[in-house]
Amino acid sequence: MALWEDGLSARKLPQQVIPLVIIFAAALAALIIARKILVPKTFGDLGYYRAAAVDEIASQPISYAGSKACLDCHDDIDQVKSQSKHRGLSCEVCHGDAAKHVEAPDEVKPIKPIGRGYCPLCHGYNPARPTGFPQINPDLHNPGRACMSCHNAHNPMLPHAPEECAACHRQIASQKTVSHHATLTCVTCHTVPDGHLTNPNTVLAEKPKTKDLCGKCHAQGADSPAEIPRIDLATHGGRYVCWDCHYPHFPEAAR
Amino acid sequence: MGFPLADIAPELHKIAGYIYPNEFELHWGLLIVLYPYLTGLVAGAFILASLERIFNVKVLQPVYRLSLLTALAFLIVAPSPLLAHLGHPERSFEMFLTPHTQSAMAMFGFVYAWYLMVILLLEIWFDYRKEFVVWSRERTGFKKFVYKILSLGTTDISEKALQFDEKVGRTITILGIPSAFLLHGYVGFIFGSVKANPWWSSVLMPIVFLFSAIVSGMAMVLLIYMIATMFREKTINMACINKLSELLLYAMIVDFSLEILDFIQRLYEAEESINILSQMISNRLFISLIISQIILGTLVPMASIIWARFGKVPDEMKRMLFFVAAILVQVGIFSTRWNVVVGGQLFSKSLRGLTVYKTELFGLEGLFMVMLLLALPFVILYVITRFLPPWSKSETQLSTP
Repeated sequence: MALWEDGLSARKLPQQVIPLVIIFAAALAALIIARKILVPKTFGDLGYYRAAAVDEIASQPISYAGSKACLDCHDDIDQVKSQSKHRGLSCEVCHGDAAKHVEAPDEVKPIKPIGRGYCPLCHGYNPARPTGFPQINPDLHNPGRACMSCHNAHNPMLPHAPEECAACHRQIASQKTVSHHATLTCVTCHTVPDGHLTNPNTVLAEKPKTKDLCGKCHAQGADSPAEIPRIDLATHGGRYVCWDCHYPHFPEAAR
Repeated sequence: MGFPLADIAPELHKIAGYIYPNEFELHWGLLIVLYPYLTGLVAGAFILASLERIFNVKVLQPVYRLSLLTALAFLIVAPSPLLAHLGHPERSFEMFLTPHTQSAMAMFGFVYAWYLMVILLLEIWFDYRKEFVVWSRERTGFKKFVYKILSLGTTDISEKALQFDEKVGRTITILGIPSAFLLHGYVGFIFGSVKANPWWSSVLMPIVFLFSAIVSGMAMVLLIYMIATMFREKTINMACINKLSELLLYAMIVDFSLEILDFIQRLYEAEESINILSQMISNRLFISLIISQIILGTLVPMASIIWARFGKVPDEMKRMLFFVAAILVQVGIFSTRWNVVVGGQLFSKSLRGLTVYKTELFGLEGLFMVMLLLALPFVILYVITRFLPPWSKSETQLSTP
C-alpha cells in the first residue's frame, strides 16, 4: 500500500504533491524553529545587530579616566606638555588606564614607561611613517640608555641638533642606501642652511630646480665614471624635469 | 629592526607606475575566479535544458536530462569556493536566520536555496518520478532502498499522474528560466554595482555574465555528452550535437557582440580610467584577454563550429571540431571570469599604476584547491548518473531515427 493512498480520492490532490508539501512544510518549520532558538532575542530591535550588545558594552568596567581627570591634580605637568610636541597625546597613552588611580590616588599608581621599550612604538623607524617624523633605530641609538635620561617625555625637545639627515629623513636615507645613488651624500644635491637642523619647519633645505644638476653625472659630456647612464639633456624628457619620471632617491624604480 | 624596503625592493619591478600600498596584494584570487565560472555553468546548463522543454527543441532530448544533472552537480559545488575563501563555513547558515535584505551578497543564500530546492531538485524529481517508482519495484538490495526513498513514497504512475508530472515540470521550467537568469545575473550584478571600480561598474555586467554563462553551460554539456557517450561505447546523436553547437554558436555571437558593445561604449565614453584600463589590457591582461578569451576562446571556436556545422565535413571531423570548440570555449569563459575578477584588482584606484597577481600552488586559495573544486562536480555528476541515468529515455526514444 502506498503511503499517500488517500490523497488522490479524498482531497483530489495528486498523490505526488503530498510528500513535497510535507517536505517543504517541514523545512519551513525547521527554519522558523531554528530562528526562534538561534536568533538572539534583541536582534533587529535597533538595526541589523543585537540591541542588547549596546548595554553589554556599556556595562563593562571603566578603565580609563580621561585627561580632564588628570588635570585636577597635575596641572603643572599639563602646562609643560600643552606647549610641547606631545600636546596632542592624552596622559593615559603613556601612563596606561588610570580610572583606579583617580578613585584612590595614593593606593594605585599609574605606570611610568621609563625603559627603552615604549617610545620606539611611535619613534622606532618604520617606512610607513611620514617623512620628518622623528624616528630612530633603537639598536643603534644610544644603546642601553633609557630614553628619559636625555628626553623629557612631557616636553620632548631634541637635546642637540641632529648629526645626520637620516635622523628625520630616515625613510629617504634607507631607500637611498639600496639604490645606485647610495654613495651620494644628501648635500650633493640639496643645499642645507644651518637653521634647518634646529628649525626644520621654518628654514627649509633647498631642492634642485633644473636638469643641470642631474646632468653633472648623466649628461653626454659629463666628467663622471663611464658606467653611469648618459642621456642627451637637451632632448631627453622634453619639457619635464628629471624627477618627474625618475625618483632620485631610488632611481631603479623609475620606468 | 628589520629593513622592509630591502625585502620588497626586488618585488618593486612588478609594479608599473604608482599604486596605493594596500593594492600590492590582491584579495580576490583564483577561488573568486572559479565561483562565477561554476555558477555560469549551472545557469547555462539549465537554460539548455529548458530549451528542450519549453521551446520544444526535440532534437536536444538526448542531453535534456544530462544538462539538468550537470546543473545540479555544479550547483552543489558552486558555493564552496566562497566558503573556502571566506573561511568559517559553519557560520554561513546565519545568513538564512537573519536575512539582510539590503545586502546583495547576503541575499544570495536565498537565491541559491530557491534555485536548488524549488527549481532544480523539483524539476529533476518530477522528471524521474516514474523511473523511481518503477525501479523501486524492479531493483533489489541497496538500489531498491535508494529508489524507494527517492520516490518519497509515491506509487501512482497512471497516465493521469504522469500528465500531472509533465505539467508541473513545465511550470517549474518556466519559473526556472528567470531563476537561472537571477542566479547568474546576480553574480554580474555584484561586480557591476561596485561603483568605485571602473572595470566592473557597468549595467551591462549582469547581461554579459548571463550570456557567457549560457555559452559555457552549453559547451560543457556538449563536452560531457561526447565524453560520456564515448566511455559508454554508444554512438553520438549527430542531430543533437549539430543543433547544440548551432545554438552554442548563436549564444556566442550574442555574447561576443555584447562584450564588444561594452568595450566600444567604454572607449567612446573615455572616462578618466580609460588610460590605465587600456594599459592593463595591452600588457597585464594581454594573454588572458586578447589571446585566451577573444582569439582562442571565442573566434577560433566560432570559426570551427561554423566550418563543422555549415561546411561539407565528414561526421568524424565534425565531432572533433565540436569537441575542440567546446574545450576552447571553456578556456575562454574561464579567462573571461579571470579577466573580470583579477583584472578589476590589477590597476590602482589612483588610476596611475598596475600591480601583478601570482597564483599560489598550495593552501586554501591555491591552484590545487581550485583543481580539486573543479574536479568535484564531475565526481558528483558521475555518482548521480549511477543512480539517475540520464540516457535511458533518449536512447529508447531516439535510437531509431
